[in-house]
Amino acid sequence: MLKIDNLHAAINGTEILKGLTLEVKAGEVHAIMGPNGAGKSTLASVIAGKEDYEVTSGTITFEDKDLLEMSIEERAREGVFLAFQYPVEIPGVSNVNFLKTAINEIREHKGRPLISAKDFLSLVKQKSSFVGLDTSLTSRSVNEGFSGGEKKRNEIFQMAMLEPKLAVLDETDSGLDIDALRIVAGGVNALKSKDNATLVITHYQRLLDYIIPDFVHVLYDGKIVKTGGKELALELEEKGYDWIKSAE
Amino acid sequence: MSGTLIDFCKQLNPTPLNLPEALLKAAKDGIEFQHHFPTTRDEAWKYTRLGRVSALKLSPVKINPSADPLPSSDSIDIIFENGTWYCAQPTAGLHIDFSGDIDSIAWNACTLQGHVQHINALTAQGGVAIRIDANTKLIKPIRIIHRLNGEHTGLILHHQFVLDNHASAQLEVIFEGLGDDSYENILFDFFLGVGSTLHTDMLQQTKGTHYGFHTQRIYQRKDSTFALQTITANTHFTRNEIEVFSQEEGTHTQLYGAFIGQENNHIDNHTYVHHMAPNCTSDENYKGVLSHKATGVFNGKVKVYKDAQKINAYQANKNILLSDQATINAKPELEIYADDVKCSHGSTTGQLDQQALFFLRTRGISETKAIDMLINGFLAEIVGAVKSSHIQEALHTLLD
Ligand SMILES: Nc1ncnc2c1ncn2[C@@H]1O[C@H](COP(=O)(O)OP(=O)(O)OP(=O)(O)O)[C@@H](O)[C@H]1O
Ligand SMILES: [Mg+2]
Repeated sequence: MLKIDNLHAAINGTEILKGLTLEVKAGEVHAIMGPNGAGKSTLASVIAGKEDYEVTSGTITFEDKDLLEMSIEERAREGVFLAFQYPVEIPGVSNVNFLKTAINEIREHKGRPLISAKDFLSLVKQKSSFVGLDTSLTSRSVNEGFSGGEKKRNEIFQMAMLEPKLAVLDETDSGLDIDALRIVAGGVNALKSKDNATLVITHYQRLLDYIIPDFVHVLYDGKIVKTGGKELALELEEKGYDWIKSAE
Repeated sequence: MSGTLIDFCKQLNPTPLNLPEALLKAAKDGIEFQHHFPTTRDEAWKYTRLGRVSALKLSPVKINPSADPLPSSDSIDIIFENGTWYCAQPTAGLHIDFSGDIDSIAWNACTLQGHVQHINALTAQGGVAIRIDANTKLIKPIRIIHRLNGEHTGLILHHQFVLDNHASAQLEVIFEGLGDDSYENILFDFFLGVGSTLHTDMLQQTKGTHYGFHTQRIYQRKDSTFALQTITANTHFTRNEIEVFSQEEGTHTQLYGAFIGQENNHIDNHTYVHHMAPNCTSDENYKGVLSHKATGVFNGKVKVYKDAQKINAYQANKNILLSDQATINAKPELEIYADDVKCSHGSTTGQLDQQALFFLRTRGISETKAIDMLINGFLAEIVGAVKSSHIQEALHTLLD
């Protein structure tokens, strides 16, 4: 589904990703761990198409299409979703209104009919209860005045509404209480199918108790330096990253 | 600079309205003294050039002083169309008069007397005088629509709106129409009696190289509430001057504005709130969105008089510039002579939030739609305060 090959990316002339290679197949869950500043969010942003980053070499293909050629919104319409590490607040833009526009733009792209007001409302109801997001929050302005945890739930709510093929979750677990963590993980698991894939960026092995990854990667200084099964996460939790550095 | 103010007035209307003698004399003296249109050396016109205006060749609009009847609708409609007034049947407690006789309540309080108001006093061709009897609460909104087409026309109107004690009403004022090299000078005097309430929504949406000058003077008595939402949408040239006199205790004033400019549009908002009495509040919020080479001006002045204690005056101005060539000149001014007051003001100008734009696009929304959404969101506070469904609809077409 997603193939990243020898990716180099820079921001303001500073190279952050330095030859990153990663393949994610449909049906798989991959976890990416790594120290602060390693480039995890950068990778997520480059996949989503953030224009501040310059891809200096390497390729990304998504379902055999050149992802780097697509605009931000085209990527989303093709099924790429990013749950932000730091969700933005947008005063005056209602959560449900923008989601309705988003769903319809995606449908239009796929040549499907627009969603009816009634279907949309029932979808909002169903998905918000599914991720445990208070319905009063769904109609408020995007993230305005939301608590940290509510913002994260809102990201998962959007994911549930948009049903992407590839979801990249950037530290969605940070700032969540245990209950919320279970709900978010439950949400990800419930959406899991043989046709979609998830890339989970996290610092905590804890999340991986709930979302069982097929692979765990260590991203260090702009590269994937180690790949293993879920036991790698346990090992990292125990030994920290110095162990990887010295092994390198 | 070309023509003098006297020459400019001569082409507009030789037979002034029946205004109080003192007012006419002040206007005449003012114009003779000023002689020429103000230049950018004049503080009040620092960012608004009048060279084009002073050179306009205008013919006055012929006004029919009586009004043709309109069928009733869900608002009380008063329509001005190219010189003719049309008016719905007034309901109980409401008086609407087109005779141009403006009575002289509180004239002496008028301090907003620049060349715009002088020209208006000397050349007004007509206007509507509305009066609402004491204790009358109008259910239907009053809707005044100005529609003027044609080039090189000069329209000068002087309206008056009086709410007697404890009356309440909702007003919608709409300016539309098309006219290159046209001039419009519309003045409203609002008199709010004790305990009265007036909610006014105003839409300025004229087309063509049209020069619009709008004055609103508001006189508020004890415990009255006045709210004004001014929406200026892609007008070639607009200068709004709003002056509020909070004359007695317990008044509340809300001045909201949203201005949207594109191409070479120039939109200038000047407001001046006089807090002359204690225990009053004012809340001012102006938001601007400018693209291309549009220019905007916001000048908000608040004066708290010596004995006007316990005043709460809030003022905010926020602007978004969508292009490098758009500019805004914002200047809040506070003059405070009382010691127990709460005043705040702030002005910010920035670009569209790039993080928010990226976020919306990662959800599949096209760039243009995402920009529209963010602009809508930015203006939501102001647009949300508009009660007029007519204006709401016009805004939806404009902003979507
Ligand atoms: N605009 C910028 N200019 C220069 N360097 C930048 C810029 N933005 C980010 N960086 C740097 O890029 C590096 C990678 O940042 P990134 O956010 O991808 O790290 P991360 O792995 O997600 O870290 P964390 O675990 O703290 O979230 C950091 O060293 C950061 O300082
Ligand atoms: Mg990060």
